Amino acid sequence: MSEPMIDLLRNLPSATPDPARAERTRVRCRTRLSAVAPPVATVPKPLGWKTQLWQPLIAVLGCAYVAEAVVQALRSYGRP
Amino acid sequence: MDRDTELALVERLREGDAAAFDDVHLAFNSRVFTFLLRLSRRRDVAEDLLEETWLRFVKHGRRLRADTRLGPWLFTVARNLHVSYQRSRALENSATAGLMALWPTGSHRSSPFEETAASELERRIEQALAELPTAGREVLLLVGVAGLDHSDAADVCGLTPEALRQRLHRARQALSRALERDATGEISGMERVTS
Repeated sequence: MSEPMIDLLRNLPSATPDPARAERTRVRCRTRLSAVAPPVATVPKPLGWKTQLWQPLIAVLGCAYVAEAVVQALRSYGRP
Repeated sequence: MDRDTELALVERLREGDAAAFDDVHLAFNSRVFTFLLRLSRRRDVAEDLLEETWLRFVKHGRRLRADTRLGPWLFTVARNLHVSYQRSRALENSATAGLMALWPTGSHRSSPFEETAASELERRIEQALAELPTAGREVLLLVGVAGLDHSDAADVCGLTPEALRQRLHRARQALSRALERDATGEISGMERVTS
């Protein structure tokens, strides 16, 4: 930007924070960054044998229940 | 800092590389501090907010997006911390006289005359800046002093680019008026002394 006012601002001196405090902060932050545990990638656990058995069983029972409900409904109300 | 260097630094930060933090700290510490100091007009407040800015930075260091732009990220946090500070304390201290002596001039001056003239101009600009409302001052500091482009400065302030352009225009006009007032006041003061 060639605006003279902005150029004036750009030439203002920069400020320097207290060196001792800046150094303390830098060291503190450095330590924190290193100490923070890396984000753990969530890997799905392998399913146990019980889960592997129960899930299909529940699915089969559910299907059987729904099928039986449909059969009973047809019997009760019949087809026209 | 070019974009490739910045992206490489972000990648290293995401891996928890402490040396990468040193590089970012070296590149931005003084810039963010200058922004906070001129925004808050209090050295102790600026020091506190600067420290908090860095602590937040490392807290999010490993979760930064790969395409993060470090300058806007840091200035946004610094600016938001200052807004929170202002809200909590409701402080708007207009005193800046004691602050000037704490700022190093930094740049080389070729002669005592030029040094005096430059210092006088800087003092007037600092004074005029300090008189501006915070909203105007922060956009001038971001674009003029910190060197952010309009798009980044708009992001930092949570404004649309058009709103930022308007606010910047108004702030520049207000700064010009404040500088003119200062110059007029000095001349009338000199006339009173010499008459």
